[in-house]
Amino acid sequence: MTKYRCFLLWPIVALLSVSFVRAMAAGADAADQSPHRIVSFGPTITEKLYLLGVQDELVGVTTYCERPPEARAKEKIGNVTQVNIEKVVQLKPDLVLATPLTGPRTVERLKHLGIRVIVFKDPNSFTEMNEQFLELGRIVDREKRANEIVGVSEQKVERIMNRVKGLPRPKVFVQIGARPLFTATRHSFLNDFIEFAGGTNIAAGAKTGFYSREEVLWQDPDIIIVVTMGLAAENEKMGWRRFKTINAVKNNRIFTMDSYKTCSPTPRTFVEALEGMVKVLHSGI
Amino acid sequence: MLELRSVSCRYGDHLALKEINVRIEDRELVGVIGPNGSGKTTLIRAVTKIMKPVHGKVLLEEQPIDALSFKELARRVAVVGRLGDFDLKIRVEDLVLLGRLPHRQGFALLEKRTDLDIAREAMRLTDILELKDRMVEGLSSGERQLVFIARALAQEPRLLLLDEPTSHLDITHQIRVMDLIKELNREKELTVLVVLHDLNLASQYCDRLLLLDKGVLRKDGAPKDVLTYQIIEEVYKTVVLVRENPVSARPYIFPVSKEDRRRT
Amino acid sequence: MDKRLVKWVLSVCVLVAILLAVSTLSLLLGPSGVSPGAIVRAILEGKESAAHAILFDIRLPRILLGFAIGGSLSLAGVILQSMFRNPLVEPYTLGISGGAALGVSITTILRLAGPLGIYALPVSGFVGAFCVILFLRVMAANRSVLTIQALLLTGVMISFISSSAVLLIMSISGVEELHDILFWIIGSLGETDWFLVKPALLVSVSGLIFAYFFCFDLNALGLGEEDALHLGVNVERTKRILFILASVLAGLSVSLAGAIGFVGLVVPHFVRMFTGGDHRILLVSAFLSGATFLIFCDCVAKTIIQPVELPVGVVTGLLGGVLFIYTMTRKGSATGGKGA
Repeated sequence: MTKYRCFLLWPIVALLSVSFVRAMAAGADAADQSPHRIVSFGPTITEKLYLLGVQDELVGVTTYCERPPEARAKEKIGNVTQVNIEKVVQLKPDLVLATPLTGPRTVERLKHLGIRVIVFKDPNSFTEMNEQFLELGRIVDREKRANEIVGVSEQKVERIMNRVKGLPRPKVFVQIGARPLFTATRHSFLNDFIEFAGGTNIAAGAKTGFYSREEVLWQDPDIIIVVTMGLAAENEKMGWRRFKTINAVKNNRIFTMDSYKTCSPTPRTFVEALEGMVKVLHSGI
Repeated sequence: MLELRSVSCRYGDHLALKEINVRIEDRELVGVIGPNGSGKTTLIRAVTKIMKPVHGKVLLEEQPIDALSFKELARRVAVVGRLGDFDLKIRVEDLVLLGRLPHRQGFALLEKRTDLDIAREAMRLTDILELKDRMVEGLSSGERQLVFIARALAQEPRLLLLDEPTSHLDITHQIRVMDLIKELNREKELTVLVVLHDLNLASQYCDRLLLLDKGVLRKDGAPKDVLTYQIIEEVYKTVVLVRENPVSARPYIFPVSKEDRRRT
Repeated sequence: MDKRLVKWVLSVCVLVAILLAVSTLSLLLGPSGVSPGAIVRAILEGKESAAHAILFDIRLPRILLGFAIGGSLSLAGVILQSMFRNPLVEPYTLGISGGAALGVSITTILRLAGPLGIYALPVSGFVGAFCVILFLRVMAANRSVLTIQALLLTGVMISFISSSAVLLIMSISGVEELHDILFWIIGSLGETDWFLVKPALLVSVSGLIFAYFFCFDLNALGLGEEDALHLGVNVERTKRILFILASVLAGLSVSLAGAIGFVGLVVPHFVRMFTGGDHRILLVSAFLSGATFLIFCDCVAKTIIQPVELPVGVVTGLLGGVLFIYTMTRKGSATGGKGA
């Protein structure tokens, strides 16, 4: 009887010790904060990694990762929505940084294969972006640098905000989509840009981003900003010029803006975009 | 009135009419008979410009019909065709009024008084005046046929063509229609060319018969000359007995069934 | 006859009244914070107010476009259904909307917009539709008789081919182009321009007037082509002319507003139930009813889940579908029908 009991004990002990070791390893993994082979699934993440100075540890990027230009030289693992898992595995990464666009199944599969995947939600405000940036800094073991960058960024933003403090606040409508007309509500970078630059977003209180042209006419903004890609922006500008009762049209204050900087900024590009916004809102300064 | 000179018509490869030569004078009542596929309907189509003959000419009142427009033709020739499928949700009077189309001049949205009078007269002649406000789809086949004849009459034609007007009718309406045709021919001086499948009706009512067989005009003459048992047997490939109708002295054809044939 | 004329005039008056009522409703309602009262005041006040602009630069052109397109589509539907004596024919069955969609897709993906700017899509839509019309016309010219089956089959084939081509283009296009193409196809009366509304009105109303020259021919065609010929109607010439007319009306509609379905199919059926088959009253009734129907659907589309705007094609589809089922059941149980 005893002999059998000892026999049974062995597999149980073996099982327990294996899991214990595994847990330790995982813990050790978590404790080991310095990844050496990073794959990025998003252009903004790539940009931020370069900003943090870990480009040498970056081994894989998407086809859309074009900023900074050096990123183009890196190995490609697919585009933002479709990732080639085999390619990723080939690169033997110890950290994969994904976006909400990556697709949960891809993330799951990579995790099953034992790869560490962290999904970064899209930040929607200056503070959120900074928090994420700090988090990213911690993950890639560049906490100090991250803190520096965020600190500089916050300072600059504060200075800008002080500059525009006494100026009149123009009403702004920012268009980020056409057919149907789409704008940025309170929970967006664009809203932050406008507010920090000393303007008022007429759609700040709206429940959804869907906006009707009628409402724009009714709200009568002083400035209209069209944030879309390429040629369509010109068409949209033409479209607004038909409505001659809008203040922005009367004073010819319809502008276009680069969507990349304004919709997916890094702490550095945020400041640049904010400067641009200030120029637009208060042309003269 | 109507003349066909060596008219041949073709459907694809099949020659439906072969060198038809016929002359029909004013006020004749001519019947066209023949087995299925002999070309009777094709003849009507050739005369109304629906089909263009590959050979020969059709002349209406000495004029070649290909020189006439459809509208011109419709002012002189009215056709009561086979009952096809069409939208029956139309009032009787409106359908009859369509017969006035060929005579429309200029552009007016409403019918003139004269058009209405002519249509009413046509309905009176066909004895359907009390049906004028009813929908055609609610009428019996016999009544419908009369409506179409009324429409043809509203065209005020000089030549009336009918393609198997009695096919779907009961005996009451068959007689009614044929009596009407006879009356129109006699009283209104209308030239009539009527395709009939019923040999006895043709014999009874027509002054002259055209017998078609496989596109060829086999016999042209009075009923007693055309409806002999030899000719009928040859063309219709069936045994018949021909006797005189006791009332009209016109030929009457008795079909002989297989059973009876065996017995005699 | 006077009795009938009176009835006709009354019907037209009623239809016009309903049209005006629905239009007024659509003028007063909208996806913005403007109350109907403000709109009324704007009409009485000056030129510079926002409410005035909303009324005249956004809502009114939209209503007029709805009038033109709703009328055109119904009219084209009546003409085609009468010509072909087929209740399933509608302006889009002939493949015209397919051609337009293809034109728009090609322009979008190849970015041919260039100098035309916001007029690029309507123009490319019309070019596409026109190519289809031309093709059908050439096809028909090769035979001496325009047979219904040949035309319908060709139209269906064109529809299939164009939708496959459009899907192909959509699958290789980027998100923005995809969005543009899809949005156009679904159909919308919004985002319109006075510059486009004026020719639309011109073409649709002149189309109606032109169609009236053929109302008797259409009545005769109802009896069948052979009978119509016997009545002196130049059937082939009439069919060709009417076909071109219907195609132009449909092509214009689809290029300006995308593929708004059901209006050309359902409204003619529905109107026929009340007016009967006499085209003298049917043509104008169908035109007015189609216009009213589309304006109404558009009003629903823009207000029901504001500020999001439903594609008007969705509303016409749903309402049209319900109406269609209603007319079918009504026809089934009726033994007579209403006369003119």
